[in-house]
Amino acid sequence: MAAVLPARPGWRLHHIVVAAGAIAFLAWCADGVNLRPKEMAGALPVIGEYFARMWPPKWEFSAVLWKPALETLYIALWGNVIALFIGLPLGLCAAGNVVKSLAVRSAAKAILNLLRSISELIWAVFFVAAVGLGPFPGALALGVNFGGILGRLYAEALENIDPGPVEALTATGAGRLQVIAYAMLPQALPQFVTYNLYWFEVGVRSATVLGMVGAGGIGFELVTTIRLFEWRECGVVLLLILAMVTVIDLASTYIRGRIYGS
Amino acid sequence: MVLEIKGLSKTYPGAAQPALSDVSISVPAGQFLVILGPSGAGKSSLMRCINRLVEPSSGEVVFQKTRITKADLRAVRRQFGMVFQQFNLVKRLSVLTNVLTGRLGYRSVLRSLFYSFPESDKRIAFECLARVNMEHKAFQRADTLSGGEQQRVAIARALAQEPKVILADEPVASLDPKIARQVLGYLRQVAKELGITVLCNLHQVDYAREFGERIVGMSRGSVVFDGAAGDLNEDVLRKIYYDNVTAG
Amino acid sequence: MTTSLLAEEAQRGTQRLTKALLWGSGAAAVLWFTATQIGLNPAALVRGVPFMLDFFGRMFPPDLAHLALLRDATVETVQIAVWGTVIAILLSIPLALLGARNTTPHIVVFHLIRLLLNALRSINELVFALIFVAAVGLGPFAGVLAIALHATGMLAKFCAEEVEGVDRGPVEAMQATGAGRLQVILFGVVPQVVPAFVSYAVYRFDVSIRAATILGLVGAGGLGFSLIKTMKLFQYHQTATCILVIFVLVFISDWLCARIRARIL
Repeated sequence: MAAVLPARPGWRLHHIVVAAGAIAFLAWCADGVNLRPKEMAGALPVIGEYFARMWPPKWEFSAVLWKPALETLYIALWGNVIALFIGLPLGLCAAGNVVKSLAVRSAAKAILNLLRSISELIWAVFFVAAVGLGPFPGALALGVNFGGILGRLYAEALENIDPGPVEALTATGAGRLQVIAYAMLPQALPQFVTYNLYWFEVGVRSATVLGMVGAGGIGFELVTTIRLFEWRECGVVLLLILAMVTVIDLASTYIRGRIYGS
Repeated sequence: MVLEIKGLSKTYPGAAQPALSDVSISVPAGQFLVILGPSGAGKSSLMRCINRLVEPSSGEVVFQKTRITKADLRAVRRQFGMVFQQFNLVKRLSVLTNVLTGRLGYRSVLRSLFYSFPESDKRIAFECLARVNMEHKAFQRADTLSGGEQQRVAIARALAQEPKVILADEPVASLDPKIARQVLGYLRQVAKELGITVLCNLHQVDYAREFGERIVGMSRGSVVFDGAAGDLNEDVLRKIYYDNVTAG
Repeated sequence: MTTSLLAEEAQRGTQRLTKALLWGSGAAAVLWFTATQIGLNPAALVRGVPFMLDFFGRMFPPDLAHLALLRDATVETVQIAVWGTVIAILLSIPLALLGARNTTPHIVVFHLIRLLLNALRSINELVFALIFVAAVGLGPFAGVLAIALHATGMLAKFCAEEVEGVDRGPVEAMQATGAGRLQVILFGVVPQVVPAFVSYAVYRFDVSIRAATILGLVGAGGLGFSLIKTMKLFQYHQTATCILVIFVLVFISDWLCARIRARIL
């Protein structure tokens, strides 16, 4: 005798409604951004052609790129340092197990959100107006934006630690700050380091465009080559950026391996 | 009496039944007291009410003739060493640093933030480690140790506080029998050597019989037995473990 | 025993201190050098404070009437992010499978795809936007492509790493049934990475919203154009409105994405 199969949950009405809604939504969005299959098909060869114009790269151009490229790295470095100084205290204040007062935590979270939401490019425009052109406002912009991002990550990492050692150290009579220093921070530290390494990498990528608004780095050269249609030079800049990011990625993976391996 | 618990009661917010109901126990100095009962009997709540990790709903705890209040908790807590079921060592720190954290209650906040301890504290730490035979692993990271070894280090941490009382909350529930007996043996031995009073929560009857001088049986938040290990007979065990009626 | 241990601890303590001082001074030297290179100038920052305060002052109160004008730009920003992410999802599935050691048809293909993905990842959305604006003209279309390409790089690389990390068990079980290579991939590998993939895709959408807010700076659509225009024209009340809208948009996107990701994992 054949076994009775359980009824398969088939297509219910609400599945169909949701699917139809999603398709309608996507169609509306596509219309809003002028995304039409014909346009796409036409655009791809054009873009391909533009990238083809970058070959062969004009290698001599790299001579003028070394200084801005290094500047990009320095901006990313100091951006992360500033981000650490902004993010760590705010992150500590935003963590539920570090600070009890809801008012303080909410204020810290609000500040972090504000810093995060505004793109580093906008901050860069602001800081350039405040302190002048150059890589300094770039580092400030990166620092402020990443401070918001890292601060929230730090707070999450702190809230996710094992509460056991925290209870144990409180029971020995240790004061609040001591408990934070000995039970919370050591547990969260690997996460902190991971975040900082990852966001340094992101920082390098972000720093490549800050030059567009006069905030230093290789962005200015990049924009200039595009605006002047110097595609072969543009290709060199892009390759240089690719090389920088790849090297940082490898170094970062290596460092992370050393830390976790120990 | 080093410790007097008087009418301690605790109901957690939102709970239907009280976790502790009018618990009263007097503990003489130097005793190895086992608190025996199934999980949910209120043993952990009782212990945490003593060192104020949890605020009792009513009743009081008198330690060395002084009532324990919220004021100056630091000074009171460092007199109570605590040992946990999950060991609760800081895994990334070395064994030595873990034991040294027992001294934090005595140290000023500022200096300890730099992970700097005076020579005298380090001496105490090494001596405590020697008492549980763990000094040879002093410089290893805590997470490289086995369960039994971690618990011994946890005991050393409690000893480093130079406490009057050790509160051990199910210290061997995570360990297998041979290691469990070893750890309980260390606990009993060092307590005897140093004259420390021990309150030890256990749910295993055989360990209670083997190590406890005096046994307090708890069931559903109340004390249902208080006597010597030898008096622990079938009727008493039934009261602790199988009775569904709260003591009248 | 204790005395010798104390001596050993003292020795270790000195070692730790020396190591800390060495690393510390090394880091300080690097930081000092780079600081001079980029012209880190706390004095200039302090001098800039009055300007910054003046700027913030002029932004209040935000001109709420301006909100109506921003409606289209806001919608456009979201639409750009949506399709940028959708295209990235579509492209990254095959690219991830080609770019993972255990599912790639050939090791050369693997390396080429990885190189491509690295290239896509390392180039900022804004840079792509600049190039595409030159190629296909101003407007959100360029923006969508810019976001899509960069997101593809990130999403595909992430997915490829997930694919490489799958549990071998179900895969071997499928192979044992005699299934073909493609079937093994589709039924043994892909289902294992779907939750992580979807979660990361949602995260990329969140990031894309942020990126889409500034594409307008280079003419690729969205709120960015209005923001920079009002700043350059010193219409700070309107700038404040823009920033407010961006803030709310990012906040909502953030909350939504966090909820969705929590439901998935």
